[in-house]
Amino acid sequence: MPGTTIAQDIELIIEKKTSDGGGGDLPPVDGGGGGDDGKRPRGWKPSPKRYYTGMALGIVSILMFFMALASAFLVRRGSGDWVPVHIPMLLWINTVVLLTSSGTLEMARQRLANGHLAAYKNLWLLTTVLGIFFLTGQVAAWRLLAAQGIYLASNPASSFFYIFTGAHALHLLGGVAALLYVAKRNFDQAQVTRTVAAEVTSHYWHFMDVLWLFLLLLLYVGK
Amino acid sequence: MVTYDDGSPHAAPRSLLGRAVFSTRHKTIGLQYLWLALASVLVGMVLSALLRVQSSWPDTAIPFLANLQHTPERYAAIRLLHGSLMVFFVLTAAPQLGFGNYFLPLQIGASEMAFPRLNMISFWLTVASLAGMTASFFCVPQTGLDLWLVSASIFCVAALLSALNFTVTTIDLRTEGMTLTRLPVTVWAWFLNSILSMLIFSVLLAGCAAVLADRLLGAQFFSVDSFLAAQPQNLVRQGNLPVLWQRLFWYFAQAEVYVAMLPCFGIVTHLVATFSRKPVWKERLVVLALCGVGLIGFCVWGYHMFATGMNPYAPLVFAVLASSLGVPAAFLLASWLGTLWEARLQLSCAMLFSIGFISLFIAGGLSGIFLARHDLRSAAVSEDFVIGHFHLVMGVAATFAILAGLFFWFPKMFGSRLNETLGKMHFWATFAGVYLIFMPMHWLGLLTQSHLLTDASRVSLAVMGASIRTLVTIATIGTVIAQVLFVVNFAQALLRRGRPEENNPWRATTLEWSVPSPAPLDAFAAGKRTVYRGAYEFRAGEENDFAPQHLAPELLSAKLAD
Repeated sequence: MPGTTIAQDIELIIEKKTSDGGGGDLPPVDGGGGGDDGKRPRGWKPSPKRYYTGMALGIVSILMFFMALASAFLVRRGSGDWVPVHIPMLLWINTVVLLTSSGTLEMARQRLANGHLAAYKNLWLLTTVLGIFFLTGQVAAWRLLAAQGIYLASNPASSFFYIFTGAHALHLLGGVAALLYVAKRNFDQAQVTRTVAAEVTSHYWHFMDVLWLFLLLLLYVGK
Repeated sequence: MVTYDDGSPHAAPRSLLGRAVFSTRHKTIGLQYLWLALASVLVGMVLSALLRVQSSWPDTAIPFLANLQHTPERYAAIRLLHGSLMVFFVLTAAPQLGFGNYFLPLQIGASEMAFPRLNMISFWLTVASLAGMTASFFCVPQTGLDLWLVSASIFCVAALLSALNFTVTTIDLRTEGMTLTRLPVTVWAWFLNSILSMLIFSVLLAGCAAVLADRLLGAQFFSVDSFLAAQPQNLVRQGNLPVLWQRLFWYFAQAEVYVAMLPCFGIVTHLVATFSRKPVWKERLVVLALCGVGLIGFCVWGYHMFATGMNPYAPLVFAVLASSLGVPAAFLLASWLGTLWEARLQLSCAMLFSIGFISLFIAGGLSGIFLARHDLRSAAVSEDFVIGHFHLVMGVAATFAILAGLFFWFPKMFGSRLNETLGKMHFWATFAGVYLIFMPMHWLGLLTQSHLLTDASRVSLAVMGASIRTLVTIATIGTVIAQVLFVVNFAQALLRRGRPEENNPWRATTLEWSVPSPAPLDAFAAGKRTVYRGAYEFRAGEENDFAPQHLAPELLSAKLAD
């Protein structure tokens, strides 16, 4: 990339000054730490607001994804080859598990706000386990349906059933990964505090919860 | 989409790979997008010349594509590759992701994007998508279609991630004093475009996922029988594969038009004001018009899907929406002309290309009226007419805006200027060339309606059609050759780098001109800028005819006193 070399050279020179303090993968130390010579103000410390904004916008975007599929579902429902899928009982149990997980997550956040770190960690872990339970339950529900001979390719209704539950499960898997990440992460040196991380993650988790209720309702009423 | 990245401009990567290739810096990423666009536009242009040669002289043997003349699939594949490269990696990548990544943070006084690592990921997803789309060209049609769809999905994800980044950056990272009313119109355009992208691309992603599930897993979202039954008969006759290719291409293209045009509107408004040395005429109205384009663009994207019979709902609604795009477009046009009115124009290359954009936008917009009106469409809609229309208004106009931006921002990005004389030669050659290509295409489109005529006049029309086709092809080849001027200019300017370049060669007001050229790693290292006024405070006719946004009022009065 020949065009970028000048900018690169400058970056290189500056980096030599600043990078001897820390390795590349370590999070940068705030407030002029590391091997900085101190001449350059290291003023870039954006407010954590960006995480909340980012999550809110991300939620809108994900919502649009599911709304597009939902509108396709409603239009496609009118066609002749539609064979309704009966929702297995297991899905209702899964729903209760997911709702409970939202509750425990809220409790965890309260403990964190009150400074009970140990209680927070336990409840956070419980939420993660409940999330994994839900996902396992969804897989079990798919296998149940498959045992009845209802596959993705069977008819339009089953196609929609699998894509809704599948896409939601995939998004929730991301949520579980985020829960684990926040649980494991060392916040001593990070730019983002534990409270911010926990709140942003919980926004996502609650959204997944509400989204699931909506999808379940859609599949139940719209079949 | 949970990322807790703390990539700051100071997180020093160790290797060259981390610094130049997998960089998280907004300026490096912006330039990477521009290089990607440059490579794509050159390849895409050569492909378009191949297409023209093939349609004018079908017997020509084209190197590497020896069997082209006998297989319609290869011809369709070249068209798809040309369209994909141009639409995704030039029109979307350059004005929004290239210039936007480089200049949005600079113009709002931020040191970085909100999520730098996410930014890097979306760039490399874009590269993966480019590689996939190019590879699909070399596959057999069925595999190629699947690969193309996967690549398009990857592009959707990349676009979503960078749109999220742009939006959050604009909302949360503005420097002190940079209120919404003081934002440059360019930033407004990038911001609104990102919001539009976030809504549109998730819908497209859902569509892609459904079609892929149909094709790969046998799902029945759009089962082929019910799909084909709803198609107009003349399309069904071509067989099922081209219909799917065509549908999918339009499905994306309609949404992409607005995504590609919005940032161009921003860039042109910005440049017209700067080189007219006048404030943007009715700036608030321009911002409102941009919002209008975004809103209508969001509502109208379903037009092609619905109007062609996939959905029973009234196409009239979408026709009205498509026509109503004329309203914000007219506002924008009025503002550009109002700014130009009685101005002392500085006809630099950047300004010439901006004016060229306005000209092409008017010309292309006028033929758009025929396509948007439900009752006129049946007369006007034919392949050549549509191709002529959207190339003028979208393809070429947007390219002119990109070139205008490149001439304008080149000193800030590379620390040297493009040659004005060569640039002007390039401008006039290209300007004449594109009109010679795309205006006659409209006539060709109208000629195909010749079934209304008698046999005798049809023969003379066919002869005329053939000569117009030859003219278009020769003009295409000439225009492609004229781009050598640009490449030479570009290369020469890159070689000239290293000599000292002024911070603000164009005497512009926005924040990016308050930092050295080329913009250093941490542009605002010397201290955050504070913004005191709007982005277009020009006073025509005076010695110091501009007031930079960051200059404190007392310093400004001192400067005026000098």
